[in-house]
Formats: sequence, structure tokens, C-alpha cells
Amino acid sequence: MKATRDWFGETLVDIAGEHDEVVVVNCDLGSATKALRFRQEFPERFFECGIAEANSIGLASGLAQEGLRPFVSSFGHFLTGKFLEIFQSVGLNDAGVVLVGTHAGLAIGKDGPTQMGLRDLALMRTLPNVEIIHPADGVETRRALEHIAAHRRPTYLRLCRQPQREVHDESHRFEFGMPDVLCEGEDLAVFTMGGMVEVVLDSLEPLAEHGVRPTVVNQSSLPADREAVRALGRRHASVFVLEDHFVTGGVADEIGRILLELDRPPRFGVWGVPDYGQAAAPADLYARYRLDVPSVVEHLRAFTHRTPA
Amino acid sequence: MKVSPDSSVLTRERPRVSGNADRERLHTLSRKIRATALEMIHIAGSGHIGSSLSSVDIMTVLRFGQMRWRSAVDRDVFVLSKGHAVPAWYATLMVAGDLDPALIGTLRTLDSPLQGHPDRTRCEYVDVSTGALGQGLSVALGRAEAKTLKGASGHVYCLVGDGECQEGQIWEAAMYAGARGVPNLTLIVDGNGRQSDGTVRATMDLMPLSDKLRSFRWSVREVDGHAHQALEKALTLARTDTTGPSAIIAHTHKGHLGPGRTALDGAHSGLFDEVGLRDALRYLESGR
Repeated sequence: MKATRDWFGETLVDIAGEHDEVVVVNCDLGSATKALRFRQEFPERFFECGIAEANSIGLASGLAQEGLRPFVSSFGHFLTGKFLEIFQSVGLNDAGVVLVGTHAGLAIGKDGPTQMGLRDLALMRTLPNVEIIHPADGVETRRALEHIAAHRRPTYLRLCRQPQREVHDESHRFEFGMPDVLCEGEDLAVFTMGGMVEVVLDSLEPLAEHGVRPTVVNQSSLPADREAVRALGRRHASVFVLEDHFVTGGVADEIGRILLELDRPPRFGVWGVPDYGQAAAPADLYARYRLDVPSVVEHLRAFTHRTPA
Repeated sequence: MKVSPDSSVLTRERPRVSGNADRERLHTLSRKIRATALEMIHIAGSGHIGSSLSSVDIMTVLRFGQMRWRSAVDRDVFVLSKGHAVPAWYATLMVAGDLDPALIGTLRTLDSPLQGHPDRTRCEYVDVSTGALGQGLSVALGRAEAKTLKGASGHVYCLVGDGECQEGQIWEAAMYAGARGVPNLTLIVDGNGRQSDGTVRATMDLMPLSDKLRSFRWSVREVDGHAHQALEKALTLARTDTTGPSAIIAHTHKGHLGPGRTALDGAHSGLFDEVGLRDALRYLESGR
């Protein structure tokens, strides 16, 4: 089991060996984002900006405009905090920058809400030319990085701090925007991404005891493919979205908007972080914010058995 | 002549343009550019006259005297970080023949390449999209660093406003450029002394700007930003100085039409009426 940030650090070095244009812009957090391995291998392609995210984002835009493929890495919360810079220097310039935001969700734990990536998706989703990818495991991180290195669109790669077990085998193919159905169920489809994928999969056994057998969808990239999401919406009577993110602005809003446009939308439910978060051990936070396995079982059981109003 | 109290350079007597053909050429071009920018803004019914006019001479010298233009193998890059002065850049490009003069009436209109602030996705002669202040120097740095990595020899010019230097990101970028000794970048500060609400000095004094930049390990030169020869000399020195980043603090007048002539009293925004425009164009036409 490894965190997707570790897979990122390792894979980027491999990819950079084949792609001369891949460079890294660092904001003093390379040991945490795992970008430092790149510095060892390719020191001349590593741009250290210090604790200056705005300049890092702008500098990366300039690098991209000259044909390079820069990966700017920092905590997702710090990077997306420079929204005006991302909006203009990356988005409006259509600059092929890859913003790598690590420490997604509550998992940073004891450092608390000033470091937690709980609003990054909401911000990045407002930029119409940005690809957002939040992989669920090592295989998907590696495939996603191959995908990213092969194009020049502005990209937000959201990565987790916590180790995640592999939910894909090596044959997995990453297709941008496509809902990745990990397990076919009945009636209910559960959409999630990143670190929550494993939590949902771990909930399946106890859920089965309650007679709930959901389809599990890893919506690891946004914008989501409309038609594929609609098809899933038609096949299921209910859809529930779980997210390790502020409950507003993330994957739930994306999926919900698509499904509401169906003639007969499925019943829809959402659970996410409803406030700023707080500092505590990750396990305590996931329990308190009801995003751990027992809570997910409870959410889905209650949602399934709820009598429609 | 309206003189900023800060700029000793401006108070110096300037000799009239001599018979030197190149000087006369730039002088003529800059007058045409001013007239084109004024017409463009007048038709649009909005736009920043003061900032456009203060930066015209800098752009004239860059485009016609300094920059290795598009056809060059290792072409130069121009980043207009103070994006609101873009009518002056569009006018420069029209006078140069890069942009079709027929576009003059399309500034700030639907689907026009001449957006209210520069947009590189809509106008091929805009190198970087800007508008929200403080970001251009960082992008310029990235372009300069990429050229170094690729072994390309092009130079990157970045024009910022003096008021814009109140933005924190300017100093993040200044710190990086100085610490890394980035040699292929020239920062030009359009020091017109004014910003939206009043003078830079009263709003948030920047002085001593030269000392600040020098302490960030920049080479700094101060010039009269309306004197073409002085600008050319400073820009040439900045380009050939490979010890690190160079800055040119160009002392200018907001709304500068010519010696002693200031449009709209140097206001940040505001427009001419028909009579005012005609007067200004007549003045620019006569070259006096």
C-alpha cells in the first residue's frame, strides 16, 4: 500500500526520462509532495521557487508557453488558494501547466483546516479548460500521469497523503472523464473518487448483510463524461455521492447536475464535509465527519431504505 | 509641462529632435501610435488613455528598435503585465503592420482579438494574457527560464506599472530572478506615478524603488520613459548585461501626448469628447 503522492514522485521520474519537456516547479514542499526525487534525477529541470505559490504558478505558465510541461507541486489547499493566478496565468492563458495538489481531504489530520484540501475541487471546477484527475491507487496514478504527459491541457492532479490499496490491476486503462465502474450492483450507484474509493469498497461486505449491493463508480476525473454518467443514472433507481471534500462544489455537484437533466432523474443523495474541518488524528476526523467505513455503511443503508417523500 | 515631483529625470531640459533619421522615425511612429490608440479607445467608448499614453514610447522602442520579432529563430517575448495599457500595444502592432488597421473599431467588442485586456488565445500578437495585476513578471520569468533550458537566445521583456509593484507577487518574482541571476529578462517599470485612486506616493509609496530592486540583486537603470534614445540605450545595456536580471525604471507621465501636453490631466480613466480628441489628434499630426 502506497499513497498516490508516492506513486506520483516515482512515476514522474520515469516519465521524465521519456519526455524531455517534463519539468518540475517546487514550492518548498517537495519532501511532502514527493517531487524531490525528480530533483535528484533532473536537477536542471527542477525550478525551486521557495514558499511562493503565486510566482510558482506564473513561472510554470511561462515554462508551458515555451513548450515545456511543468508540474507545480504543493499542498492542494495552498496551490488552489492562488485562484486568481491560476485563473489568469494558467486558465485564461490556456497554459499547459499541471498543478499537483497533494494532501486531499481530511487526511492531513492533525495539521488542521489551514492545510486541508477541502475546497480545491470546487475552485478548479470553475475553469472550463482544466482537466481534474484524482486517482484512486497506484495503477491509476501511473496511467493518469501517462495521459497527462501526452497532452498539453491545463491540469489539476489531486493526490492523497494516506496510503491506498490497489483497486485496479495492471490491465486498467485510464479514460479521461469516464466513470470507472469497479463493481456492478443493483438499484444504487455510489460515485466517489480518490481515497474514498477504498472506503466504499470496504463497505460492500457489511452492506451486503443489510441487503444493499451498490454499483461502485470511481469518478476519478472531471469534467465527467455526460453520456456515461447519464447511462449509469438510467440504470439505477438511486445515486449517492461521497466526497472527502467540502460538500459543495465537488464531484457531487458535477454528478448531480448531469443527473438532474435526465427526464426521470434517479433519487439522489450526498455526503461530504459540511464545514471547515478541524485538527485531529485522521481516523478520528473520518469518524467524526462520517466518512469512514461504518459511517458509509450507515449512509448507504439509510439512503436505500428511506421511504421516498 | 506637468512634472511628477519624484522624477528629476523629467525636469532636465531635453534637446529638440535632431536630424538623426532614426530618432525622427521613432518620433513619427510614436505619434502615430498615440493617435491610433486614442482613436481606438474613443470608438470603444472605454479604455485606459492615461496608462496607454505613458507606455507608448517604451513600446515603440521595444517593437521598432529592440525586439527580435516573430520571424526571428529565437524571437523575443513581450509581457504586458499592466494589461490595461493594451490599446497602446494594439496600436503599436497596427502601425507596425502586424495587425490589420481595420480592427481599430473592434476594441472591446464581441469576439474581437482586441480584448479589453490582452488575451493570447484570441490575438496572436499577444504573448501572455494579463489583466489582473502583478502576474506578468512571473510568467516572463518562466519564459526566460525555459529559453535558457532549451538553449534559445531570445530575450523576455516585461512591462509593469509602478502602482502594480504594490502587488506581492511582483516581489516573489523579483526575489526569484535576483536569487537565480536570470540574465535574459528585462523588467521595465512604467513609472507614471499614478494609479486608480491617486498618486502612487499617496496610495502606497514605492520609493526608493531602485534601491529595493538592487537589494534583490537586480541591475537598475533610470531613464526618461519618453526619450527614445535614452530608452534604447538602457534597453541595450539591459540586454547585454548577463550578470543577472535588469530593470529599467522609466519615468513617464500618465497621459503623455508630447512635451508639455498631457491628455485628460493624467487621469487613470476617463475619455475625450469629440473636441478633445480632435485637438489631441491635430497636435499629434503636427508633431509639435
